[in-house]
Amino acid sequence: MTADASAHNISRIIQTICPFCGVGCGIGLRVEQEKITGVEPLASHPVSQGKLCAKGWSTAYAVDPIDRITTPLIRENGSFRPASWDEAYQVITEAFLAAAAEKGADAVGVIACARATNEDCYAAQKFARAVLGTNNIDHCARICHSPSVAGLRQTLGSGAMTNSIDDIEKADLIVIFGCDPTENHSVLGGRIIGAKMAGARLLVVDPRLTRLARMADLHLQLQLGTNIALINGLLQIIFANGWEATEFLSSRCENETALRAKVAEYPPERVAAITGVPEEKLIAAARMYAKAERALLTYGMGITQYTTGTNNVISISNLALVAGQIGREGTGINPLRGQNNVQGACDMGALPNVFPGYQEVAQQTNRDKFADHWQKKLPENKGLTSLGMTKGALSGEVRCMLIMGEDPVVTDPDQHHVQRALEALDLLVVIELVMTETAAMADVILPAAAFSEKAGTFTNCERRVQLIQPAIAAPGEAKPDWQILGELASRLGYHHMDWPNAEAIFNEIAALSPLYQGMSYPKLAENHGLQWPCNEQAPNGTPLLHRQQFSRGKGRLIPVSHADPAEVPDEAYPLFFTTTRLHYHYGCGSMTRKSPLLERETPSGILFINPADAQALAIKPQTKVRISSRRGEVETGAIITDEVPPGTVAMPYHFKEAPSNRLTNTAQDPVTKMPELKACAVRVTNLEVEHK
Amino acid sequence: MNGLMTPQLIRITEIYDDGEASRHFTFEPVSGIRHSARPGQFFTLAIPGHGEAAFTYLSLPDAQGRFKALIRKVGSLTSALFQCNHGDLIGFRGPFGNSWPLEQLKDRRVLIIAGGIGLPPLAAVINQLSTKESTPVGLIYGSRSPADQVLKQERLAWHTCMPILETFDHPSSRQQLTGTPLDHIQQMTAKLGGSPEAVLACGPEVMMNAAAQHFIQNGLPPEEIWLALERRMHCGVGECGHCYLGSSTVCADGPIYSWQQLIRLQSQTTA
Amino acid sequence: MRAFLLDQIDRLRDHLAAQRSLFTPQFAAGSSELSWLPLSHNTPSAAIERPLLATYPAKQFFFPDREILFQFDGADFKETLPKPAPQILFGVRSCDLCAIAYQDQFFQQDPYYQARRKATLLVGIDCQLPCEGGFCPTVDAGPFVRDGMADLVCHQQGGRWLLISQTSEGEALLDGLNLKAAAEGSISQRSRQEPQVAAQFPSAAHIETGIQRINQTQVPAELWQAMGLQCLSCSGCTNLCPTCSCFTSYDRPVDNGFERERCWDSCLYDAFQREASGHNPSAAAGQRVERFWFHKFSDEYFKTFGRYGCTGCGRCEKTCPGVIGVHSVMKRISAIL
Repeated sequence: MTADASAHNISRIIQTICPFCGVGCGIGLRVEQEKITGVEPLASHPVSQGKLCAKGWSTAYAVDPIDRITTPLIRENGSFRPASWDEAYQVITEAFLAAAAEKGADAVGVIACARATNEDCYAAQKFARAVLGTNNIDHCARICHSPSVAGLRQTLGSGAMTNSIDDIEKADLIVIFGCDPTENHSVLGGRIIGAKMAGARLLVVDPRLTRLARMADLHLQLQLGTNIALINGLLQIIFANGWEATEFLSSRCENETALRAKVAEYPPERVAAITGVPEEKLIAAARMYAKAERALLTYGMGITQYTTGTNNVISISNLALVAGQIGREGTGINPLRGQNNVQGACDMGALPNVFPGYQEVAQQTNRDKFADHWQKKLPENKGLTSLGMTKGALSGEVRCMLIMGEDPVVTDPDQHHVQRALEALDLLVVIELVMTETAAMADVILPAAAFSEKAGTFTNCERRVQLIQPAIAAPGEAKPDWQILGELASRLGYHHMDWPNAEAIFNEIAALSPLYQGMSYPKLAENHGLQWPCNEQAPNGTPLLHRQQFSRGKGRLIPVSHADPAEVPDEAYPLFFTTTRLHYHYGCGSMTRKSPLLERETPSGILFINPADAQALAIKPQTKVRISSRRGEVETGAIITDEVPPGTVAMPYHFKEAPSNRLTNTAQDPVTKMPELKACAVRVTNLEVEHK
Repeated sequence: MNGLMTPQLIRITEIYDDGEASRHFTFEPVSGIRHSARPGQFFTLAIPGHGEAAFTYLSLPDAQGRFKALIRKVGSLTSALFQCNHGDLIGFRGPFGNSWPLEQLKDRRVLIIAGGIGLPPLAAVINQLSTKESTPVGLIYGSRSPADQVLKQERLAWHTCMPILETFDHPSSRQQLTGTPLDHIQQMTAKLGGSPEAVLACGPEVMMNAAAQHFIQNGLPPEEIWLALERRMHCGVGECGHCYLGSSTVCADGPIYSWQQLIRLQSQTTA
Repeated sequence: MRAFLLDQIDRLRDHLAAQRSLFTPQFAAGSSELSWLPLSHNTPSAAIERPLLATYPAKQFFFPDREILFQFDGADFKETLPKPAPQILFGVRSCDLCAIAYQDQFFQQDPYYQARRKATLLVGIDCQLPCEGGFCPTVDAGPFVRDGMADLVCHQQGGRWLLISQTSEGEALLDGLNLKAAAEGSISQRSRQEPQVAAQFPSAAHIETGIQRINQTQVPAELWQAMGLQCLSCSGCTNLCPTCSCFTSYDRPVDNGFERERCWDSCLYDAFQREASGHNPSAAAGQRVERFWFHKFSDEYFKTFGRYGCTGCGRCEKTCPGVIGVHSVMKRISAIL
């Protein structure tokens, strides 16, 4: 029987993983006549348990073929023309070879993608290292959780979430530090709401009055950029009252004396003055956390996106170790990863300093191991970070770049700087689904398959490696990133990337990375994913890290000091500026903004401002305003809300029409080069007053 | 013949500016199919690629099917409409909604209160009432400032046959009235030769509510006070749900409600 | 209404599938997720005999998540009514059938809905056990199929099936099966059995109290606000609710023109009622949460539809990430003094 094309005609439902954040919810894609027309939540999925957020529910729009790039495109006379893969590969190989011949292998670089699969990211770093001969490989974890990786590796030995999402229901206190999971990780945020309804207490530390702050038992509304002072203050109170976990400290931690000495410099009066949090609230919070039976701490960008990002993370670690709130169910340090596969992209070694499985490039034995497996001598040179590459592009050191699915023009700090850098390249190659702002600057665009069109794995924030399944064929000539990179490698004379399928890549990953060693596609399918490390000792994965001992042995307490953000308000730029995310959107908005519902929800640019500041500037709801910083200016409409405290304004970063990253500071964390996206100084001008 | 969800083509035949960011548009049917409408009803205009929005009839379809609307530039559809020229074809659906209770107003002393751009939805009913000898009718029209006033030509015509008071938050000369329409009810009552027996209002909800309260306190029954409501109207046929007001949908059950009906709808929920 | 005896339910199903395309709730391979899918070969009927609801109700067969209303080819608007092939929905539970009846009435004038609906025959099934979270008896929507809500009704009786035809189209489907007429009294035996099944449902006193309080506007605004704070505006409740019908529409560019697509919307979204001017009559989340439950449980709608807008399926409770599904909300409402 035939049916009209517009008749409802389900043909199948493909179970896969939602592509929108690090929570990794299960999602069924409904296919009708080879189009994805809707989604089904999966009740049996261990993380999402039949729930989805607004983004997940709108997945069918995000992968709508309507504006997909379907053939390779080459820039010619200022516009793009379709080209064959052959021709596109030819242009790329010539330029990459020429750059390397002229300036050496480090004149090229690759940006992988935290939205791509593990297999794609593995292919990207192998392409950089084995084919191009450079460690210039990075991805956007740089601007979200590189400080978590760096900080927690020093203190615990592993930079990932220590516990599992299931532990939310096992905790009797949940601490939410510098994040709003109900906005950005909604299904996980919902589980926190559920735990609260079931009797858990909530302690929120955030300059903003977030949804969870409104529900919290205690909210510490600290001044922007004062995390370390606050935590040192809490530690001082804990030690002063003898609330520390004595036994845990002596048996499992080291360097306690140095930490005690440092935090003694932070008595409540001083901390209250720096942070703006009253002393009694500090004391109450310290008591709450130290005395809780099981306290689970979770944090986000409000910790990492600072020049002190790594030290902020170390502080968090100090707090959990001193209170002994780690290594047990219902406790732990749980960074909330932003992108669906930012954990996996890090695991895959899409970072300049590590091979897959966090095996240091600097170690000869590691280089030998991978060289042996990859049949290629590997570079020793220290690789550049993503911001290092943009800097290198401006200075002429870096000549060609390949960007896989990221949109740094919208998402990276100081947009003008990024644009100038990309313009300065000899060749910019972008592998993309749609014409993003970055793709629009490319010389060659290669069409990629979306998550719904390929097999592979994503690793969620609780280290759960999960299978994704193709629901439909990719449009036109689009193909998976790993396949594009493999074909490009062949053109450059390297034939150890011509995998037959994604599973073959995964098997190579498992063979080379001890964390993934015990995993295979069939095993992942059977178990709804597995949490790493998964190996002979833990064949069913590891929901809880550091149970008996820390990955590095003893937990290391590291004294750190408060430091102001690189830029603080002054006369010329009197307000603090911070960036936020909105529930309805994801990253640069290239997927979520295709939904008519999500796009309707928010105007395409917003400045959040406190009623007090708004009044001082005669700003009314939706008043047009200009926000200026030392780096640029943006015009948008105001929303007046007590979510932001007086003296601080905030902007979401999703909108190309009002790019907050024209304002943000590129000042960096010295350890990880994380830019300070969470704090800079701005001036807000009421344009309607100016007009009159 | 297309169903109620699919627009039919109409042609723009006349465009002129009226007040700040407002324009008059005259439309005529393309297919020759005329439709009739009643004062207070509305229709939708569609511009492919920009969606659709609801507008009120400024004048009802004439013998040739021509009708008018006053359109203010507020969103993306109206911006696209402002780009249109004479002769352009766009989409039309309608008419939708209920109408002013003309039957019930017969032989009554009627006061009409308009605030800001609440005047156009009242224009068609004013046109009809002002020509009836038996129905004394007066208009109080409040605006922020003289520059914010609309329907200049229409008001000139109305001035010849009915009392009109125009008042401003920010007048530009001493001769002009200041304040809200409520401040001038006494004066209008005198001109009308007695207290109104029915009140029609359209404008900001705060203004309409205040007016309704005033007349309730002065003994006018709630079923004699009629307000035109604005909601986000999409489908026009009470299906899409956007314009709910308690258990009613403004596009199908409204946009005209008596104060009695409104009180009941508002009492259905608490928040 | 006539009753027949049937030995195996699969026999009926396969007989029907030979006549029209047939959709029925099925488990995906190796999974416990129950979804509406076209009948595939060798699908076991396990799902039919257990008290399990499919993830979605059947509404998307008539009111799909997304559908094209018309096209604009650059010159004129062309209505695009669907022309569905004749189909059968097999194994629809009473709660979902009541919702179809509700929407049949709501979408009476909607040509898109009606085109799909008219091409469809419904085979209902009586639930013999309560499902998890379901409370259909409380809202008169089950556990057995109501009269006139399906073309055929399957009812398990002893080791066999009683097959009841409720329409002539339903009965015509049985041609060729050579079924024996059921014994007299088997229909009344079914009627006597329903209260026994209904009695097995857990107490729904909180739902009854909640309905009363909503209708008497006794729920304090603060409670709506507190629950509004928990609404993450995901749209899950409205997507899975079998009676929810709100939609929006937007223009999509296609080759040489545009098409207007309508798609499911949700009254829980912040901008659902926001006007072009920025004014929003339901700007507070608490107002929107109240609105949703008012729409489900108000006597005002009962008057129009002869039943509440909630058919007791419990899907909203399962899919709400903010813990404000029907049981959570009604428990809190019934707990106020």
